[in-house]
Amino acid sequence: MAYTHDLVADCLQFERAFCTAKCPFNLDVRDFIGKLQQGRFNVAYKAYQNAVGFPGIVTALCPEPCRLVCPMKDAGGAISIIQLEKAAMEYARNQDPDEYNMPAKNQRIAIIGAGISGLGCALRLITRKYPVTVFEKSAQIGGHLHDLLPSEVFMQDINRQFIQENYNLRLNTEITSLSDLDFDAIYIATGKNGTDFGAESGRDGVFKGGSLTGADTMQAIAQGLNAAGTIERYLKTGIMVLPEELSGTKLIADAIQIIPGEAVIPANGTSFTRDEALAEAKRCLKCSCDACVRYSPLMSYFKKFPRRITEEVEVTIHPSTLDGNGTVATRLISTCNHCGLCKEVCPQNIDTGEFLLQSHRAMHEKGAMPWAFHEFYLRDMDFSNHEAALTRMPSGYEKSRYLFFPGCQLGASDPRYVTESYRFLTEHFPDTALMLYCCGAPAEWAGDDVLHQKGIEKIKSDWINLGKPKAIFACPMCRQMFEKYLPEIEGEFLYNLMDEEGIVPIGLTDHSTASVFDPCASRNKPSVQKTIRELAIRSGFELEPLPMEGRLAGCCSYGGQVAIAYPPYAEHIVQAKIEQSENPYITYCANCRDIFAAAKKPAWHILDILFGLGNANRIPPTVTERRNNRLLLKQQMLKSFWNETEIMLIPDFMLIISSELKEKLNKALILETDVYRIIESCEQTGMKLFNPETGSFSGHLQIGNTTYWVEYRINKDSGYELLNAYCHRMKIEEA
Amino acid sequence: MPETTKMICCKCNKELEMIKTDFSYLGHSFFTEVPKCPECGQVFIPEELARGRISEVEMQMEDK
Repeated sequence: MAYTHDLVADCLQFERAFCTAKCPFNLDVRDFIGKLQQGRFNVAYKAYQNAVGFPGIVTALCPEPCRLVCPMKDAGGAISIIQLEKAAMEYARNQDPDEYNMPAKNQRIAIIGAGISGLGCALRLITRKYPVTVFEKSAQIGGHLHDLLPSEVFMQDINRQFIQENYNLRLNTEITSLSDLDFDAIYIATGKNGTDFGAESGRDGVFKGGSLTGADTMQAIAQGLNAAGTIERYLKTGIMVLPEELSGTKLIADAIQIIPGEAVIPANGTSFTRDEALAEAKRCLKCSCDACVRYSPLMSYFKKFPRRITEEVEVTIHPSTLDGNGTVATRLISTCNHCGLCKEVCPQNIDTGEFLLQSHRAMHEKGAMPWAFHEFYLRDMDFSNHEAALTRMPSGYEKSRYLFFPGCQLGASDPRYVTESYRFLTEHFPDTALMLYCCGAPAEWAGDDVLHQKGIEKIKSDWINLGKPKAIFACPMCRQMFEKYLPEIEGEFLYNLMDEEGIVPIGLTDHSTASVFDPCASRNKPSVQKTIRELAIRSGFELEPLPMEGRLAGCCSYGGQVAIAYPPYAEHIVQAKIEQSENPYITYCANCRDIFAAAKKPAWHILDILFGLGNANRIPPTVTERRNNRLLLKQQMLKSFWNETEIMLIPDFMLIISSELKEKLNKALILETDVYRIIESCEQTGMKLFNPETGSFSGHLQIGNTTYWVEYRINKDSGYELLNAYCHRMKIEEA
Repeated sequence: MPETTKMICCKCNKELEMIKTDFSYLGHSFFTEVPKCPECGQVFIPEELARGRISEVEMQMEDK
């Protein structure tokens, strides 16, 4: 997991806002305005006062460089930070500086020049209890401020800021040589055209700043304030390190979500009322790079940036206690849909999804990932790759140019999706082979590398035996998996091929206005996104766009198979996706189609439309039916295309289950085949319980790691009647 | 389990009694009293226990 630190090294979460980067005082505008937005004028003022030292002088003279870089300047007007600063001053309960109770220091500091830079340095140092002597050759303090402001304006501010502390002021005292001064450190701020005594800043405890160094008024104050920190560091450590020049910001304008709003103009023409200040503060976007948290469903749901996620994941994989307590992110790791949207919207291309996938693998390898999160899906994958698997070449061919790889869930949703597609393909390309198999996504999502690799190797060897054909995909996720793990296999989408071959859509009679829901795995496949839209329009649909489509395609909730690990999150995602539009959806992933339909959102698979198969309200099959459909598909394919009729694959047993109970089993991911197996086990072993009140039997069986319970009755004529079924993950230690 | 539910072990023809039973999940072990055949040890976990307290403890273990 060396990947962690590299991952967030480029994250811009903590980059300074554009305005802050331009501010000579490095005022944290996000923090300042955040306080104002809450109506906390007093604390906002304190933050401002701490940053600028002399709030009255700065608000009077600041040329507002922040306005030029405010992203709101073309969206209603730049935020008037200076007016907000004035409002913070005006509406603060107390403008006086706070008094700090700190031990007095014994190192003495000389400041040459009582201009505003020297005073700034003095202010900071005496607040930290250093004895400070300020030498001024003239008879007054304030330096060049006398040329800029009426003295009562700046003197009022200076006097207020020094109200808590005293310094030794030596007016009419011109210093001619630094050797006359016996101090531990010296700050030279002798103003424009002043002398620097030939000293080099940063040597032997001597520092320079202010107009002497060419700084303007704001920079002069900022340099004075910052010099105090540099001097203190020198006095404590002996290290002469000049203040680091903060250079701009890496924040990217495109990452900021602009919400236009007209600038608030003070009704009295000069200053904001409290309400006006609040309104203006609320226009501020508090610019920060938060594209991931805005777009990624995972990060927005958990309100966590990549940095926080990596930290939590790190301690989860490497817990600091032996018993593994504090593995805070186990469920978070298992809740990523792996849709790729976080990387897509990140200006730095940070791939948090890939990081979580690697983390999932690490947890799996350690045996620290709860098996329950993926057991059902891995059993399902095993079913696809064994009972329901079929790899064949059309009779009479020794080699295929094409291989149709429909993916395990297409036929599970409706076998006709696969039979009709294969019929189309073999009509146009008679040597097209078929592979009913799983692309490996469930194993990848479960972090089970060994199982995943096994599946990949099987696909690869079958593909070689078929003559290395080009794969034709119906499912964007399958294609993504092939591109990632089987890059040697060239691929194409079924829909593009259908379009090229001039398919004439049978279409539907109930079509209307619809929206195409791009599956997340189609994100980087604009050609198939375009083809689907063209096919839908040719089928008679009018299309309206969704807010999140194309490169911003989001997961329907199926990705990562997160529904067991965190059901409320999966439900939240489904709702968010179906609420994007009132239109019915057209999609080209069987999982998207079935998940939306299960949530009562009318949704077609594009194959429903092209082959005239189904209506948008078709109730998706239950987990049991999904298995039966795959067996049915295999049987139909063998019969229709290979003329093999003797196979009866669908389990047929005498078990009565009410429709309500079937729905309950489906929601609990309990297979009817498992239920039957448990009842049979109870009956064969006699390990069952009798409830004399209801006349029913109960029994249990552990299948995989899960313990299933059934309650049933025995009817002489009709076999078993299931009354209830449920399961738990905890193992009963019966031995 | 509700007081009224009476379960009979079909193997031993004995009524189940509340007996201490061991459970395990994700490397952690627990014990609690559940209905159990005093003879062969066959247990009964009612649905409300499975979906209630057992489910809660499972989630705690998963997040531990």
